[in-house]
Amino acid sequence: MSDGTAIPQHALARLKGLRSEGHPGGIFTSDFSVNEFLLVRKAGFEPVGLCVGSCIYHLGIQYASWSKNQEMDVLSQAMYHARELAMSRMRAEAEGMGADGIVGVELTVKRMEWDDKILEFIAIGTGVVHAKGHPGFKGPNGKPFTSDLSGQDFWTLLQAGYRPLEMVMGSCVYHVAHQGMFKALGNVGNNTELTNYSQALYDAREIAMERMQHEALQAKAEGVVGVDLHEGSHNWQPHIIEFFAVGTAVTPNTIERDASTIPDPQLVLSVNN
Amino acid sequence: MSWFDRFKGSASQPASAGPAQQDFAGDSAQRAKEWENALQHHRLPAFVTHRLSEAAGGKLPWIATMTPVELAQTHRYRIRPLAMVSGTCWYHYGYSWTNGHTAGWHTALRRMQQEAVAAGANAIVDVRMRKIDMELDSSMDFTLIGTAIRIEGMPPNPEPVVATVSALEFMRLLEAGIVPTGIAIGAHYEWLSSWQRNLDAQGGWSNQPLTTLGNFWERVRKQALRQLQQDTRTAGNGVLAHTHFGQLLKVGEQNNERYLGRHIVIGTVVDSERYHVVPHDIRHVVDMRDGLSPLCDQRPSSHNVYDTNQEEGSI
Repeated sequence: MSDGTAIPQHALARLKGLRSEGHPGGIFTSDFSVNEFLLVRKAGFEPVGLCVGSCIYHLGIQYASWSKNQEMDVLSQAMYHARELAMSRMRAEAEGMGADGIVGVELTVKRMEWDDKILEFIAIGTGVVHAKGHPGFKGPNGKPFTSDLSGQDFWTLLQAGYRPLEMVMGSCVYHVAHQGMFKALGNVGNNTELTNYSQALYDAREIAMERMQHEALQAKAEGVVGVDLHEGSHNWQPHIIEFFAVGTAVTPNTIERDASTIPDPQLVLSVNN
Repeated sequence: MSWFDRFKGSASQPASAGPAQQDFAGDSAQRAKEWENALQHHRLPAFVTHRLSEAAGGKLPWIATMTPVELAQTHRYRIRPLAMVSGTCWYHYGYSWTNGHTAGWHTALRRMQQEAVAAGANAIVDVRMRKIDMELDSSMDFTLIGTAIRIEGMPPNPEPVVATVSALEFMRLLEAGIVPTGIAIGAHYEWLSSWQRNLDAQGGWSNQPLTTLGNFWERVRKQALRQLQQDTRTAGNGVLAHTHFGQLLKVGEQNNERYLGRHIVIGTVVDSERYHVVPHDIRHVVDMRDGLSPLCDQRPSSHNVYDTNQEEGSI
């Protein structure tokens, strides 16, 4: 923190009520918090605009047999395809505004209230450009990179010598088999693992992760950070669960950086609450 | 005193009542009249102006939403809290819910700024957007509260800047050449008629994106964002949109359905020098407290107005 009270002239003028005339650089929009804004700028980037992609999607119909563990591949495909569409529209918007990438991407799903087969998928993030026009931060194939990391995490990631490539994801909608009556009766009074349930959840999660990992491989990433596994049942019948894995694929920064130059974290004991 | 005494209405006052609370201005009828007058003429009641100017002159104690830490920090920057200021507007939506929100917030903003001017402030920090749930049909209250501050040795600002961040963050931003200056609102609504077509799905059994509906919705959202940019133009060169609220509704019977899309975006306007180097050094720190660290936990949003996408939709 720079000590003392050095408030820049421009800020002081604004506080006295003087407006700067005209904004030659145009107006940017962003969903950053102010701290995020600060750190993205510290990282050497400037926001250019909010990038939004959305997709309203009708889910197809699929029947699962009552007593079988199985992937609902129609639904898996739908959930993946719809998100991909939303993301690609967001990316197209970023390209349109000449962004180097999108940070702080938020993926949400909303149900339309008049029909539970219709879901809306939204991808929203802030397009950023490198302030000095450094070309080395684009994602795969010269397209804007995408990342679900917050502005703070973005700064930290760059400090750690990595840059984001692409948001990668994997989706698996799974039907967990119902227990047969005889099986259920057999368990009465016993402490026992319900192996078919364990198996189903295990398998579904595994599939989602594998798919995500495969995407990262295709993006030629070294790894995936900030992975989050979501379990959701979007108002489907009980026993149908979606496992959704999402994270940011990263690669070491081309600007070589010795590990010793990465600053050591300092330990603090904060007194505020 | 027994319950029987209460019925008799005996003169003995309950001992717990204590001394009455002090008001600045007369009785309720007088106050009501003052308020009515003030709202009509777009100014403040005399007793509010009085209270604020007294606080500014140091004759009344200052009031601030700041925490002690913030107070300690702001002293370093020679910032003085003056008073809590607020603006409220209860707004009824006649022809448009969406435009009503824009008008409601703008009015509340103007009123809050009036109070800040009366206090001779340079800025209002820690501004929060609130609503009170009264569930009254087709109307809502729009309230803004914040702390008016004065920077020592600086003349009062005829248009105090409005910052939705705490005093501490405000100063940190100023150092970095970023001035949060106001609140911008963008809202848009549109109707889409289905013209006897079924827009939901062609053949309900297969996976498919709904393009007509999707494009319509995208247009509504884009328009709201464009409005937000328009609203930003006068105060700054960027907007950090913290609140996104959208609804897509379907009304009407079979074969004559209409869709209403409405979207509201609200953000903090910032005025910054672009491509300006941030002078701060940033240190990596690890907080040693278990589970309590303010560095780790998500700050609860201090606005309570809209359910945003983040709250409603799981991934």
